[in-house]
Order: sequence, then C-alpha cells, then structure tokens
Amino acid sequence: MAGVVVKGRFPRRHVMAAVAKNVFRYLFQGAARNWARNFSSTAPALSSMTLLLSLSGLIGLSGFALYNLEKIESGQASVLHVYLRDDADATDVFTLRSRLALDPRVASVNYTSKADALKHAQSMPGLPQLADSSESNPFPASLDVQVKSINDVAAIDAMVRTNAAVDPVYPTSYDRGAYQRIQAVLLGVAIGGLAFVALLGFVAVTVTINSIRAAIHSRRDEVTILQLVGAPRWMVRGPFIVEGAITGSLAGAAAGVVTFALALAGIAEGSASFSQFAPGVTITVAALAATIVFAAGLGLGSGSSLLSVRRHLEA
Amino acid sequence: MPDHPTKSSISRGPRDERPIVEFNGVTRAYGSRLALDDLNLALEPGELTFLVGPSGAGKTTLLKLINREVRPTKGEVWIDGIAAHALKASHVAELRRRVGVVFQDYKLLPRLTARENVALALQVGDLRVSDQEAKERALDALEAVGLGDRGDALPHELSGGQQQRVAVARAVVRQPPLLIADEPTGNLDVETAWGIMDLLEDIAAFGITVLVATHNIEIVTRLQRRVLTLVDGRLVRDQPAGQTGRMAWLAWS
Repeated sequence: MAGVVVKGRFPRRHVMAAVAKNVFRYLFQGAARNWARNFSSTAPALSSMTLLLSLSGLIGLSGFALYNLEKIESGQASVLHVYLRDDADATDVFTLRSRLALDPRVASVNYTSKADALKHAQSMPGLPQLADSSESNPFPASLDVQVKSINDVAAIDAMVRTNAAVDPVYPTSYDRGAYQRIQAVLLGVAIGGLAFVALLGFVAVTVTINSIRAAIHSRRDEVTILQLVGAPRWMVRGPFIVEGAITGSLAGAAAGVVTFALALAGIAEGSASFSQFAPGVTITVAALAATIVFAAGLGLGSGSSLLSVRRHLEA
Repeated sequence: MPDHPTKSSISRGPRDERPIVEFNGVTRAYGSRLALDDLNLALEPGELTFLVGPSGAGKTTLLKLINREVRPTKGEVWIDGIAAHALKASHVAELRRRVGVVFQDYKLLPRLTARENVALALQVGDLRVSDQEAKERALDALEAVGLGDRGDALPHELSGGQQQRVAVARAVVRQPPLLIADEPTGNLDVETAWGIMDLLEDIAAFGITVLVATHNIEIVTRLQRRVLTLVDGRLVRDQPAGQTGRMAWLAWS
C-alpha cells in the first residue's frame, strides 16, 4: 500500500465538542435535510395529523366545558327554588323560611326578591328580551334552598309545595329526572367524542407509519451503507424518529394555533353566552389546550415513527 | 474450539490465540434449502484468501455470516474473537466496525464526495472523531489508494475503478483486522481489476485478513493465494497459497 493510515489520538478537550457536533449532524441535521427533501411523502401525514390534533383540541376544550357544565348542573340540581306567591304574607314566608332553615336536610336558605330575580334573569342568555317585553316584573320571589343531599330534594319539594306562601301553579323548580337526563346526554357526548378522536388517531398513526416507511424505502441504500460501515442502531433509527417528531411538532403547532384561535374567537365573539355554553374556557385554558395539542403532536409523530422504524427498518 | 459466548454483551477470547475468522460446523438454511452445510474454516491474520464457486454455491451467504447480516442456523461464527452467531442486534455495529466491506457495486453515497464517503465510515463508527481528524485520515486513505487528488469529487465524477478504490479506502480507513470483498472486480475492466487486486494484496501485506469472493479465475490462478471452493454450500476444497487450483474451473460455471 502506498501509505499507512495512522489512527489519530483524541485531544480530550475536543472530544465532547466532536461528539456533540457529530450527534447533531447525523441525528438532527440529517433528519431535517431528509424531511425537507421528502416533503411530498410526508405531506399526507402532516395534513391528517394537523386535522386530528385540531379536532382533538376542540373536542378537548368542549369536554372541559362539558365537565364544568356537569359540575354546575350537579350543584344546581341540589338547589330547590321555592317560588312564592306575589301576594304571600310576609309572616307565612318567614315561617316557611324558618322551618326550612331548621330542617336537618337543608344546608342553607336564601331569599330572592322579585327585583333580584329580574336582575338575575337579565344576565341570562335569551332572557333579557323576555324580561324587557313585559311591563311588569314576571319573575316571582323565591326561597333558594340548598339541600345537603340530592336524594332529599323530592321530599323537601313535597313538604313545601302545599304551603300557603308558595305559588300553587308553579310551586318549585323540582323536575324529576332532569339531572339524570343531563348526565346521560353528557356521557353520550363524551363517549362519541372519544370514539371520534380514537378513529382519527388511528388514521393519523397509520398515515404517519406509512410515510416513514416510504422515507425508509426511498433511502434504503443509504440505510444499508450506514449499517454496513458500522453505524450504531440509534444512528440509523434516530433520524427517522426525529423526522417523525418534526412532522408531529409542526402538525401540533398548527393545530395548537387553530385550537387557541378558535377558543379566543369564541371568547371574544360573545363572552356572555360563551361563558354559559362553555364554562371555564378562558384564555389561560385555551393556551394550556394549545400546549397540550403541541405536545401530543410531538409524541404522536415520534411514537408513530418509532413503530414504523421497528416494523420496517430491521426487516 | 472457542468458548461459548459469555453473559457479557460481546463475548471475546484472547485475540492472539484465535484466527480472525473461524467457522465451526456452520449451517445456514433458507427454508428447506441449505445455503451452507456444515462449514468449517479458519482465516489467519494477514491472509489473502479467495472464495470461489458457482453462482448459488453460498459465497455471499458466507460473507453475510461474517458481517452478521444473517445468523447461522447451526454452528458458530467467530470474528476477531467476537461470537457473531450469538451477537444481539444491538451489538452488531461493534462487529461491523471490525470488518471492512467492499461490494461489486461500490455502494458509495452519491451526495457525498469521495472524502466524505470515507470520513463517514470513521465518524459513524466513532463519534469522537472530529471533522478535522476525519478529513485528514480520509485523505490519507485516499492517498493510499491513489486518489489523493480526487477527494472532492462526487462518485458520479469518478470512473468505476476509482469508485472501487474509494470503497476500498472506506473499508480500511478504520484499520479493521478483516476486509471482505464480494466480487470487487465484477464491474471493472481487466486492467482496472488488477489495480484493485494489487491494492488488496498490499492491504493483506499490512496484516489485514482479506477474503475475496470472485468469479475471476485469472486473478485467482495468477495470484497463487489460498483458495476456498464452495459447491452447493459445502467447502469442497481448501487450496493453500502457492498451488494451482484443480477445482478452479468451478468458478467458470
């Protein structure tokens, strides 16, 4: 041979820098370059993942709102509004209030005057028009009874509805089964939402796995050469996983922006009605949801790629 | 007979007491077909050995067993003291860093220059190698194969013989104890093929074991090196260096 190849020594101070540079080059720089080069095969995965994550973000926010709604409804279901006659005697009202306050099943009793009832109605979506359409105040005064256990609401209702101070036509707010109906609807919505997200997730993972498989196929010569010259497994697999992470994080970022923007638009468009239909959804919550969507995209992209690499690269 | 693999990730024995390549009763089957059948052989350090035989005789399977691209169905394969037959997939890279490989179709990365192709083998095998060191060592290797002035050329700018020289430089740049070549002259004209064989002889002279699978009977007979002849997966002849092979005709079929 014309010359001897002499193995060099590694100056210690340069070793870490060389390792870091090589890892960055072969893992991240190579992945980014290949991702850009193979964008056409990655685009379907990017699109489907963005769609999935956007819908997941919106479904997640809706779920959060429904959860809060359920809590509010649950709290309200144990409040019994006892509507008083307009001409009820003050003594009768006082007697009834005292009787309720002394009942061990009752946590508290508050009095709402007709004026307060009107004021409250005017803050409710749809009710201001009704309140304003009548010259007189159509809302009755009431005793708002917080019952300790929701199971005792029916008994309290039965006890008060024949009282002389109570409106004989519409005595209380008690509606047997209303709370159960709300819960059933919420459960159905939750199950439907989760099933939808699961279906979209399956589609997104499948598309991502196939796009990574296409990337592996298009670079099989390069992969073979790397393996034959002794590249460790992480160096062969790593760039594909990083490519998946790039796809996932871009999809997550786009979906996060969509989620945040739609939530902001909802909050800005009708803050009063929005807070009723989507209680608890604030700017902070929307930002948190967007962050979670981004993280989910990153995880989904990396995880799908890892699955694909395990299934197709070693084969 | 080597010891059985230990519990360590890669079992190795004392290097000086072992051949570089050792096959003990190796059988490799693909389904019901035996590609190699009860093969026993040993290659010593610095040996240049030819592997001949008709197509389908098992030459490529033998090389793949050495490089741990496949596992034996039965038997033991020891490479520089490493039990390749028992090697986990996660440790194969460590074995391959000790085996230089040259292919008939060169297998150079088309987007990298000659120097970068050679440097790649250095840096993927050892991340501690800096760019400067990789560049210098790659240029040294290219200089050694007569391409010191073509380091910046892309593979498509080089002739077939030059590309094969780059592949040889890549295979030896890490100074492995073993180099295997699968039909390294198959795509080259006669003169260029002799140039590559001169290189492989020089490499063996520096103590690297070289195993060349070839159909080129002229090279095999003229170089008078050790010749292993495979037929239907069986080692039918092991000619020591310096003898004219009576079975060499098999390589023609």
